[in-house]
Amino acid sequence: MPLLVVEGIEKRFDHLEVLKNINFSLDQGKALAIIGASGSGKTTLLRCLNFLEYPDSGRIWVDGELLLDAGQQKRLSEADVRFRRLNFGLVFQSFHLFPQYTVLRNVTLAVELLNRGKEQTKNSAIVADARALLNQMGLSDKENAYPHQLSGGQQQRVAIARALALKPKILCFDEPTSALDPELTGEVLRVVRSLADKHTTMLIVTHEMAFARDVADHVIFMDQGIIVEEGPPDQVFGQPKEERTRQFLSRYAQGG
Amino acid sequence: MTSVQTIIGRLFGSFQLNLQLFFLTLLFSLPLGLLIAFGAMSRFKPLALLTKGFVWVIRGTPLLLQVLIIFFAPGLLDWGAPWGSGMSARFTAATVAFVINYSCYFSEIFRGGIQGVPHGQMEAGQVLGMTKGQIFRRVTLLQVIKRILPAMSNEVITLVKDTSLARIISIKEILMMAQEYTGQGLIWPLFSTGIFFLVFIGILTIVFGRLEKRLDYFRV
Repeated sequence: MPLLVVEGIEKRFDHLEVLKNINFSLDQGKALAIIGASGSGKTTLLRCLNFLEYPDSGRIWVDGELLLDAGQQKRLSEADVRFRRLNFGLVFQSFHLFPQYTVLRNVTLAVELLNRGKEQTKNSAIVADARALLNQMGLSDKENAYPHQLSGGQQQRVAIARALALKPKILCFDEPTSALDPELTGEVLRVVRSLADKHTTMLIVTHEMAFARDVADHVIFMDQGIIVEEGPPDQVFGQPKEERTRQFLSRYAQGG
Repeated sequence: MTSVQTIIGRLFGSFQLNLQLFFLTLLFSLPLGLLIAFGAMSRFKPLALLTKGFVWVIRGTPLLLQVLIIFFAPGLLDWGAPWGSGMSARFTAATVAFVINYSCYFSEIFRGGIQGVPHGQMEAGQVLGMTKGQIFRRVTLLQVIKRILPAMSNEVITLVKDTSLARIISIKEILMMAQEYTGQGLIWPLFSTGIFFLVFIGILTIVFGRLEKRLDYFRV
């Protein structure tokens, strides 16, 4: 049984069909890369999984639990959405760290708020967890820095720690290196790579083809709101079956 | 001839009225302004339209006129005496007019500040499982305050000087008091009122400067 099953997701903005009958699944501990041109719907798909967009129809299962049956059941309330989305973590393209908090506070804030009134975990344990995560991200010496004092690559690594702090079952990345200077992408990709090595279940929307090929267990190519082709990276990148995939990849090989 | 000391004492006394009007207006118009800002941003269109229309009327007409209408209208329209009677009635009416007027100006500043916070901040809070209230209090609020401080300091300084408009309904605030002495051939009391305003606004300028400095540790 796959950890994540997505079935028949449809989403339209006014008259524009952004997602048309999207189906895929993802096994525990695997990394799935979603590639495709801008406007192909891959970011919208990620946003649907994180409940930032509400699909018009389709079902999402995590761990055998039906999280969402859009179009069938009544629209989920905010409180329902709030807990269901915690199955997923999301790392944004432009980080969205909270500027008024230190690096450490950025990582602990949401955990403390969720833990409030429950007293399951002591705050000191939350801080210890956050420090361990920052250490894993190579940011131990930055816990008291504020986001604006960090480079883009460091900020994105804090954002990854912040997402991991809530222990999501599936960690999603929305073009995590697109807002970074080229010389800073490496440090972020290395961190994602190390997460893959630890078998973190991940869903990565990316334009970094070499990285996708290297880190992903499975690749989905999207175009105009549909999944055109999917398979193991060597197959999708090495011997694409579809003409559209070939065209897309050759444009990238020529440097965009 | 009234002694200089007596005159200065009276000016101080009447400036109390300016200060009272100032603080009361701030006290009520800040929360009311936030409420109006939320109304104008409401996704419920009729409420948003109604609020924006109200703000347009209040910002589009003179404060002086609003003070007059609010003070005189109940009597002229036979609504009884909602402001009570005597001097306190005048002061209450002036306070109500100022609160309405300034909450509309503040609401626009708040709205600009809230809408200026990148949407990504909200979304980051959402995907981290925060409630709307938590996102507002823990994430957005301080960023809004930092963004609006310069505009707020402008508006608050304007309010200090606007309190003199209360004289239009015979509230003996400092300018009105000073002007009485011109009848005795004394012009210096009128000029000296400027010093009262300068000193008080000087203090406010320092306070706002400190606040801005305290929020200097982060960038938005």
